[in-house]
Amino acid sequence: MNRKKDKGFESPRPYKLTHQVVCINNINFQRKSVIGYVELTVFPTVVNLNRIKLNSKQCRIYRVRVNDLEAPFIYNDPTLEVCHHESKQRNLNYFSSAYTAAVTAVDPDAGNGELCIKVPSELWKQGDEMKVLKVYIEFSLDQPKGGLHFVVPDVEGSMAERGAHVFSFGYQNSTRFWFPCVDSYSELCTWKLEFTVDASMVAVSCGDMLETVYTHDMRKKTFHYMLPIPTAAPNISLAVGPFEILVDPYMHEVTHFCLPQLLPLLKHTMSYLHEIFEFYEEILTCRYPYSCFKTVFVDEAYVQVSSYASMSIFSTNLLHSTMIIDQTPLTRRCLAQALAQQFFGCFISRMSWADEWVLKGISGYIYGLYLKKTFGVNEYRHWIKEEMDRITDYELKMGGVLLHPTFGGGKEKDNPTPHLHFSIKHPHTLSWEYYNMFQCKAHLVMRLIENRISMEFMLQVFNKLLSLASTASSQKYQSHMWSQMLVSTSSFLKSISNVSGKDIGPLIKQWVEQSGVVKFFGSFAFNRKRNVLELEIRQDYTSSGTQKYVGPIKVTVQELDGSFNHTLQIEENSLKHDIPCHSKSRRNKKKKIPLMNGEEVDMDLSAMDADSPLLWIRIDPDMSILRKVEFEQADFMWQYQLRYERDVVAQEESITALEKFPTPASRLALTDILEQDQCFYKVRMLACFCLAQIANSMMSTWTGPPAMKSLFTRMFCCKSCPNIVKTNNFLNFQTYFLQKTMPVAMALLRDVQNLCPKDVLNFILDLIKYNDNRKNKFSDNYYRAELIDALCNSLTPAISISNEVRTVDNLNADVRLILEEITRFLNMEKLLPSYRNIITVSCLRAIRTLQKNGHIPSDPSLFKSYAEHGHFVDVRVAALEALVDYTRVDRSSEELQWLLTMVQNDPIHYVRHRILSMLGNNPPFTKAAESQLCTEALVDQLWKLMNSGTSHDWRLRCDAMNLYYTLFGLTRPSCLPLPELGLVLNLKEKKALLNPTIKPEQPVAAPELPAPMTFSAEEEHLVTDTPPIPVPPPSQALKRKLDTPLGSPPEPGQVLQDEPSIKIPMKGRFPTQEEEDIDMETVHDSQAFIYHHLNMLERPSTPGKEPPSVEQSLLSMPATPMPMPMPMPMPMPMPMPMFGKESSSSSKHGEHHHHHHHHHEHKKKKKKHKHKHKHKHKHDSKEKERDAHAFSNSPASGRSMRSPSLSD
Amino acid sequence: MADPAVMGSHTLNLGMRSGTNKASTSPAENYYLARRRTLQVVVSSLLTECGYESAEKAAVESLTEMMQSYITEIGRCAKTYCEHTARSVPTLPDVVITLIEMGFNVDTLPVYAKRSQRMVITAPPVTNPPVIPKALIAGQKRTHPAHIPSHFPEFPDPHTYIKTPTFREPVSDYQVVREKAASQRRDVERALTRFMAKTGQTQSLFKDDVTAFPLIAARPSSIPYLNALLPSELELQALEETDSSEQDDQTDSENNPGNITNDDSGVDKENSGLPSGGVVPTVKASEENMIDNPYLRPVKKPKVRRKK
Repeated sequence: MNRKKDKGFESPRPYKLTHQVVCINNINFQRKSVIGYVELTVFPTVVNLNRIKLNSKQCRIYRVRVNDLEAPFIYNDPTLEVCHHESKQRNLNYFSSAYTAAVTAVDPDAGNGELCIKVPSELWKQGDEMKVLKVYIEFSLDQPKGGLHFVVPDVEGSMAERGAHVFSFGYQNSTRFWFPCVDSYSELCTWKLEFTVDASMVAVSCGDMLETVYTHDMRKKTFHYMLPIPTAAPNISLAVGPFEILVDPYMHEVTHFCLPQLLPLLKHTMSYLHEIFEFYEEILTCRYPYSCFKTVFVDEAYVQVSSYASMSIFSTNLLHSTMIIDQTPLTRRCLAQALAQQFFGCFISRMSWADEWVLKGISGYIYGLYLKKTFGVNEYRHWIKEEMDRITDYELKMGGVLLHPTFGGGKEKDNPTPHLHFSIKHPHTLSWEYYNMFQCKAHLVMRLIENRISMEFMLQVFNKLLSLASTASSQKYQSHMWSQMLVSTSSFLKSISNVSGKDIGPLIKQWVEQSGVVKFFGSFAFNRKRNVLELEIRQDYTSSGTQKYVGPIKVTVQELDGSFNHTLQIEENSLKHDIPCHSKSRRNKKKKIPLMNGEEVDMDLSAMDADSPLLWIRIDPDMSILRKVEFEQADFMWQYQLRYERDVVAQEESITALEKFPTPASRLALTDILEQDQCFYKVRMLACFCLAQIANSMMSTWTGPPAMKSLFTRMFCCKSCPNIVKTNNFLNFQTYFLQKTMPVAMALLRDVQNLCPKDVLNFILDLIKYNDNRKNKFSDNYYRAELIDALCNSLTPAISISNEVRTVDNLNADVRLILEEITRFLNMEKLLPSYRNIITVSCLRAIRTLQKNGHIPSDPSLFKSYAEHGHFVDVRVAALEALVDYTRVDRSSEELQWLLTMVQNDPIHYVRHRILSMLGNNPPFTKAAESQLCTEALVDQLWKLMNSGTSHDWRLRCDAMNLYYTLFGLTRPSCLPLPELGLVLNLKEKKALLNPTIKPEQPVAAPELPAPMTFSAEEEHLVTDTPPIPVPPPSQALKRKLDTPLGSPPEPGQVLQDEPSIKIPMKGRFPTQEEEDIDMETVHDSQAFIYHHLNMLERPSTPGKEPPSVEQSLLSMPATPMPMPMPMPMPMPMPMPMFGKESSSSSKHGEHHHHHHHHHEHKKKKKKHKHKHKHKHKHDSKEKERDAHAFSNSPASGRSMRSPSLSD
Repeated sequence: MADPAVMGSHTLNLGMRSGTNKASTSPAENYYLARRRTLQVVVSSLLTECGYESAEKAAVESLTEMMQSYITEIGRCAKTYCEHTARSVPTLPDVVITLIEMGFNVDTLPVYAKRSQRMVITAPPVTNPPVIPKALIAGQKRTHPAHIPSHFPEFPDPHTYIKTPTFREPVSDYQVVREKAASQRRDVERALTRFMAKTGQTQSLFKDDVTAFPLIAARPSSIPYLNALLPSELELQALEETDSSEQDDQTDSENNPGNITNDDSGVDKENSGLPSGGVVPTVKASEENMIDNPYLRPVKKPKVRRKK
């Protein structure tokens, strides 16, 4: 059934969604709650569609109706708590597989979902396949922890005056966090979106805004949006706030929104967006697919850029004024990225997760083209090199990145990425860093394809994809064309072969279906007799993250007579390649030397080897392989390459190589490059650092003033008084960047005592002193910040005498000067804050360096105060970074606790994410080393964090897993009691238990993908099972209607009541979680089910501390006794409860025990899981406490009063 | 540098002047007293000549007074007579006539002068003549130009009409200027931050001496991005100063392509009496644009049909 053919797209669902209405009729900023409903128009694609699975997380669902009939439903989210019991299991392997199983269990791409709606039998009995079903779901969100983010500044005034706003966010498909939907990129439908907001607010969402209508009291207005282009739910977003509106002056269909007071910045920032539009439309020869585009700048953004259908949400921190230089290119890049994703990512969506690389690749690739056009070829090549270095470094360190994971038929046991501690089957299980690398690799591979088939064809392919999609988008659903808006790897490859006629199969196999990069080692010898260059290229393909490359490789040889390209074949066992040289090794001094670009230059050839005509050699100069090359050639060759090769990549490579050759010749070459203003500024910046390093290596023989000093003086200081820097003039950006960088590099110079030379320090202090920006058109805040960085770089460890306490009195004189500057800068920031508080950031970093080097007492309190919520986010991150570092250096468990508390409580998701990732990058301890920080309590805390504390944010959960991995590794943390202990415990339980500490099998027994056959079998099973259940629909629904006061949607009673009907077939209900050890998994599953089933009752939204409201809970009690009459065996009948609270918990107990029994019978032989029971109990009793609050704080206030069950 | 010198000489002059004043007042006094004393001696000797052995002080004073008046009267009248005859210096005949006028028998005078028992009075001690206080000399006194006869009064002292520069020569040395500006700014900043630190909460890097490097305490704000993103007033001000002209240029050129035609038509319309000026077309154009954008459309009233 699920056999996918190459072209067609088969939905994993037994129905097709065609249209969805999302209506949010109340947004309460005070309570941070949202109420609304959705209506999905669904076409069944099977006879007897009896269940509809949808995605929904943390939404509290009040009622579900299918074609106006009340429909029972189950809400089960296994990802809320991955391991459902307080097992002693603490190894990451176990967690990772359980997590993957949980994600799979609700994965819309596998046809699953958290919300399972039972179609009323009247409807499915009709048997008409094409009968439209309208699924209506009322829901609310209360203090959502994911999906929607409320920003409510704590100041006086109305919400609009405060700048309160709310926006949707998420990593990959996360729309389910804020409304029930099919949260898949492959399920497209048209949309109608309605948002009723305060009259002072604007609601920005996807599609065309049709109209805005006041409510009757005129205090609110409703924004009506229509999105006629079929769009996947994850591409739907919303932003509501008192935004200032700017209609783009060049394109009136484009509207920009920013928070109050920022309009001038918005105007400036957006003044070039039209150029990006024009560029993309031109290269793609395709109009922007949507009829309008909206950009919204919000505070506390989750990521800098997120793209949704016809709108993008940006971080407000990207806005800048005309005076800011450094942020401008960064912001432009973000805008370009966002727009590229509009075409590929939003308009064109993907069929499955495995096809994600195509979208990321194409959008990244066309973004690269934009970079090339706007910032120039140098910048583009520099960027490609940078990205290449990033991906190779990452893969060589962490293991391969696989773009197109194939999981053959769901039966495959072997994990394609065994080196990773997470599964790459789902976007939601990936580590964030991996995902970034994935994107990076995707666009690099796209560039490789371009190299292979030419850019023209490449653009034709894109155009073809786009025009197919736009044709499809204008069709009705019935034409079955919508799937053409989905791109898949195979359809993409097919387009390529159709357009270009070339077979790129090997390329795809190498880079897309296989992980790893290539690592080359190159060396050569020149054979004078034969006038041949003997090149040896070796590969390392055994280390992790590498792969073997076989195929062509380009080598460029610069000889005296010119530059020559050679294409060599890398084959299995040929390492050596003979390349005939064109020139005789002669010295014709008069002759100019032709370069690759046709230029002819004079060179001083005295440095080169008299016998050889070779000036330099480059391997794979076009970066057409994802590789890392370590090439050996003589220092003079690198120097020639640096001076005369015009490619910035070559120049950068030679600079890196020259670090190993600290000679006067290298120094000269670098200085020359530094001075040459035709040279790309980033190369010159790189040369600064290399020069500093060379100077340090040449310390004893260095003559003249400190490196770069005289150059800086010549370039930037006054002619008459060389110790005074000119007043700032940053009109020339290249020199501006150089001016910023040189002091930072100079500060790295060291003298014989390994101290920063006095000269240099004074020089930098003078730069600070004489800095004068009054005549400058641009802000100098970045420059000043870098001068502080320079001061910070000049610091060396203090000579500590017998570990004395650092006091003011024994402060080193130089350090005192530095500290004075830092103090002044930091204090001035309070009075005249710099853009993005960049100076504070630098100061905090410098203070931490002072502390670390023992100049001032190590103390985290300053950083803690800057890390608090309420500071600018960059400042917070800098302070947190210092704290993370402090935690590591001082092994402070107190600070670690403080950080972890912040991870749990901070309102800003980005900050939480950063703390965890910084802890991962700079861990307080690692699995390799012993540490007193590594305690059982910490293990439990982190485990809890990833198990249940981060269920609202996929990214954060993966961050927590990363940290856990860094700290404890894949296996059981070493600080936990020995496994023997665990065994004893289990023996007490009279179970032979091997379980808690045993890790080996589980990872291997990775959860399988739902086998489609099982699934359908399951369905049938359900169908046959359902009749015996008497409770369900017709009469009940009717009755309920009668009983229910108008407009009181939520019916907890109903929920309770309906569940049993589904419960019996339950055992097998999550085939997705089945593992090798089926029995175990079934138990696991059934428990999971019960657990969540219960869970749903008590906390339909994400678990969290819900403020108890006794009255309400009391009022709502009567609703709960309902479940008692349900037709299930209750082995431990409880006394009939007086209060709902008890009843609900007791009912739970009932169910629970029921299951126990069940379990026991079942399990006698399989004892493994005994312990789970125990913990399950514990858990339950805990849950009991919470029951009281179930539903208590629902935003729908009237709801607690009525209950259909009352009448019972 | 120059200023102190000027000041110095100034005070010096002042000192000198006050000095001369003192000297001139006391000699005049002395002269008067000496004259008076001499007259008293004369009166006394005349009395002695006449045979008196003693005289009351008051009587001598009266006689002295009379004598003085008499002599003064002689002088005055002689002067008058001399001036009467258009002379400036009295001559002997003037005195004679005066004496005659005053009823004095001049012929008796030689006899009286040569009388035998006459007492010789020693000449009064020579007192230094009263010094005329020197006028303040500032600058060179100007001589008359050629066209002014020399008998005309001299120019007044220069200090009455010349201006004396009191400002310092501006320092034009670049290095010094930069140095000054830099240290001034630094001092201001340091003072300001110190002040802020002293008046508010602080954080410290050292435990032993919390005042050593006082850091103004970090204060969270409710809307941190505003401060961080918006340029500070100082920067805005600087921006206005530096490139107001440039910006004007920019906006001009930006508007041009779209507006030239508009402007022309605007002019035409103006001629034909339509109420559009040079600025109006742009406004109008933007109004038209606004209509395109749904976010600028007015909010609709709720439909009546819709029930609450």
